[in-house]
Amino acid sequence: MEQPAYAIGLQYWLKKMGYPRLIIGGFLLVLFIMAPLTGSDLTTQFTNVVNRFSWNAVLVLAMVPMIHSGCGLNFGIPLGVLAGLLGGTLAIEMGFTGPMSFVMAIVVSTPFAILFGGGYGALLNKIKGGEMMVATYVGLSSVSFMCIMWLVIPYKHPSIVMAYTGVGLRNMFALDSFYAGVLADFLKIDLNPLGINLVIPTGSILFFALLAFLMWAFLHTKTGTAMTAVGSNPTFAKASGINVDRIRMLSVILSTWLGAVGVLVYQQGFGFVQLYTAPMNMTMPAVAAVLIGGASVNKASISNVVIGTILFQGLVTMTPTVITALIHTDVSEVIRIIVSNGMVVYALTRKTEGAK
Amino acid sequence: MKKKALLIRLAAVALCVALGAVMMVVGRGHTIYLDNKTIEDYQGQEYKSFERVNITVPGEDEVIKLAKRERDMATCMGQSFHMTVEVIEKKGDEPRVEEIDLKLPYNMDGIIVNLPALLAGLPEEAWMTEFIPAPEPEDSSEEEPNIGDEFGMGEDLGMEGDAVA
Amino acid sequence: MKMKKSFNGFDFLQNNLVPLMFIIICVICYPLADLSPGHLLNEIVNRMGRNIFLILSLLIPIMAGMGLNFGMTLGAMAGQIALIFVTDWQIWGIPGVVLAMLLSIPLSVLLGLMCGKLMNMAKGREMILGYMMNYFVGGLYQLVVLFLMGSVIPIIHASVRLPRGFGIRTTVNLTSMRQCLDNLIAPRPYGVKIPVLNFIIIAVLCLFIIWFRRTKLGQDMRAVGQDMEVARAAGINVDRTRIISIIISTVFAGFGQIIYLQNLGNFATYTAHTQTGMFCIAALLVGGASVEKASIGNVFLGVILFHTMFIVAPRAGIAITGDAMIGEYFRVFVSYGVITLALVMYEIKKRRAKSQGGALLAQAQKEGGVQA
Repeated sequence: MEQPAYAIGLQYWLKKMGYPRLIIGGFLLVLFIMAPLTGSDLTTQFTNVVNRFSWNAVLVLAMVPMIHSGCGLNFGIPLGVLAGLLGGTLAIEMGFTGPMSFVMAIVVSTPFAILFGGGYGALLNKIKGGEMMVATYVGLSSVSFMCIMWLVIPYKHPSIVMAYTGVGLRNMFALDSFYAGVLADFLKIDLNPLGINLVIPTGSILFFALLAFLMWAFLHTKTGTAMTAVGSNPTFAKASGINVDRIRMLSVILSTWLGAVGVLVYQQGFGFVQLYTAPMNMTMPAVAAVLIGGASVNKASISNVVIGTILFQGLVTMTPTVITALIHTDVSEVIRIIVSNGMVVYALTRKTEGAK
Repeated sequence: MKKKALLIRLAAVALCVALGAVMMVVGRGHTIYLDNKTIEDYQGQEYKSFERVNITVPGEDEVIKLAKRERDMATCMGQSFHMTVEVIEKKGDEPRVEEIDLKLPYNMDGIIVNLPALLAGLPEEAWMTEFIPAPEPEDSSEEEPNIGDEFGMGEDLGMEGDAVA
Repeated sequence: MKMKKSFNGFDFLQNNLVPLMFIIICVICYPLADLSPGHLLNEIVNRMGRNIFLILSLLIPIMAGMGLNFGMTLGAMAGQIALIFVTDWQIWGIPGVVLAMLLSIPLSVLLGLMCGKLMNMAKGREMILGYMMNYFVGGLYQLVVLFLMGSVIPIIHASVRLPRGFGIRTTVNLTSMRQCLDNLIAPRPYGVKIPVLNFIIIAVLCLFIIWFRRTKLGQDMRAVGQDMEVARAAGINVDRTRIISIIISTVFAGFGQIIYLQNLGNFATYTAHTQTGMFCIAALLVGGASVEKASIGNVFLGVILFHTMFIVAPRAGIAITGDAMIGEYFRVFVSYGVITLALVMYEIKKRRAKSQGGALLAQAQKEGGVQA
């Protein structure tokens, strides 16, 4: 049967976009249109989405290397987050303040990320095919282990240890005199003086763009293409002389390091550090975002990260204001839980190419 | 063979439904409020409260003792309620013992039973009224759930979403 | 294959590493916790009575080779919804418990069917899928209980509803059926309360599981668990068998949750189910079970060891460090650690078996090639 060209084009785009992305994108569009009707102005919504994007994007980017090398979704991202938290707290403990504390946080967290990522990678190499379940529990057990450590490590800095006893770190502390907003305030566009509530954290976005570009460039180097090869067809990769285990290890370390940097970026945007069980909360938004962006269990690109983070964070920020205003009930939380977890379930049930 | 399996399945489902229905009847709980109060005017007559009533309800350890104008309550599962009533009508009277069986309406949670009217053998509408609890104040603080096997960290292992909610 | 069975100390150690570790932890922590043996025994018997049924619900999917059924939480949610209705309808005592169980069946079957179908679409990833299903269905549960109950689904009593008129209060009160199973026959030798009826129910379930293993369906499940391809070649409907195993597990989990909650006497509507799966799986693994093999004995040993640790660790933590939270975090870490360890050992074993199989196949092909 002859089909008009535009129909074929439409089908091509439908397929390329994927239904979940279209549905969520359409839903967001509807929300954006509805937003003025409910009395919240568009620029505020836009500011919220952009800011949340800038906090979370690097964490979502941390999913990419492991997906590329065939290790699946990185449910073990809390490990990277822990490295970042160690870096951040130690940098403050050493007495750094302002932008320097951010740089030092990244520097200090790097060896931890390499160490954790290395161990984690070695473990995942022993259990090829069952990475995701093990990763989940590696994340959970390391977070609970570090819960003990936050109490035991002899931190001294008065603005981060518990107020009364002076032993153990606080659950949450502000970063005002440290690295809060160091990226976001760089070249910040703020139209509030003109009466428009629009703030764009240019610095954070540029920082993400830099990391994303480096990631993209890396994936096009020899090692990067080897990584893709390992992910899409490990047998072939092995046959062509690639050291599969080494490449996978590298991807895990990279993911973990990006997780560490990602949480630091998140903190500088949010303005607070959250310890103890908080790292567990970092997993789902990142996993769901990259999947909503169109990634699958073994395929992910930078554009998936960007689109996914915008869609997911849009969902997170827009639904509460708009839906609550419309039906006077706050179902947004529930919608978010169903959508994000439903996305992961959907991704897991999809047949993957080259799956073992 | 197929037919037999189907029949067995249908029978099992029917059994479950029947069992459920039985449970709904047998297990329906009621709270019965026993009143020893004077009924001023029922069809032109007055039914005076008793001097003293002792009520024994099977399953409850303590005997309910009602003086004039008092109320107490008993709980009951199922649709029939049995009690043994020991009445002293006026001061100095010999106690009179009566065994009473009541049929309880399914839809009422709390049932007020007026004893003088009941013992006078009046029709049901004279002695039975529904107990309607006073509406709770809006901000009534809720009780805390009992702690079972739970870790004292975080509500729900946090896998549900963002840290900032 | 016939092999001479001799006692190998190293193998024994390797196979029973987790239970041994737990025995050591318990032995070290018990004196530090400063608990009277009577109190500890009472606690453990109580916890056995309320938890074993839930844990037993994990056994059948393991038999069918589907691993640890993290999706058992779905059954727990079905049980909770049933309990909400029974509380609202004011059905008390044991009839209330029975009715709740009956009501939970259709819900559990539905959820189990959904879970089983999805697991068939994600063969080899059953566990992570079940794990994610918890959160996904948890969202649906919230939608139903927090928004639809009282607005779409009729709820009679205002005492069950939130003050705003719809949705269920954060605590559902089960006063009228609190410990009705536990207390029906409860002798107290030496001050230890024994919930006899609970143990009778557990015994019945154990007998059911033993009987089930011998039925045609049970044999099919074991065949599917061993090798799906072989089972399929033998004419077994693999997908159907797997779905049935998940449905059975979900239904039992629903019953188990009802037994568990009647013991507690009330429950947190929105969080009571969240940690159920985690706890049952940790306890089962502590009892020496693995991802592909678990017995009734593992369940009993696991409950005793895991809950002894659970009771003793926080108090021992305070005694050692003076900080209440450290013991608390320690038991969390140990529970997660055990699951992690079991998962890692299982995956390593699976991979080794696979590579051995591959090597055998390659050798066979080579020999075949030479002959031809």
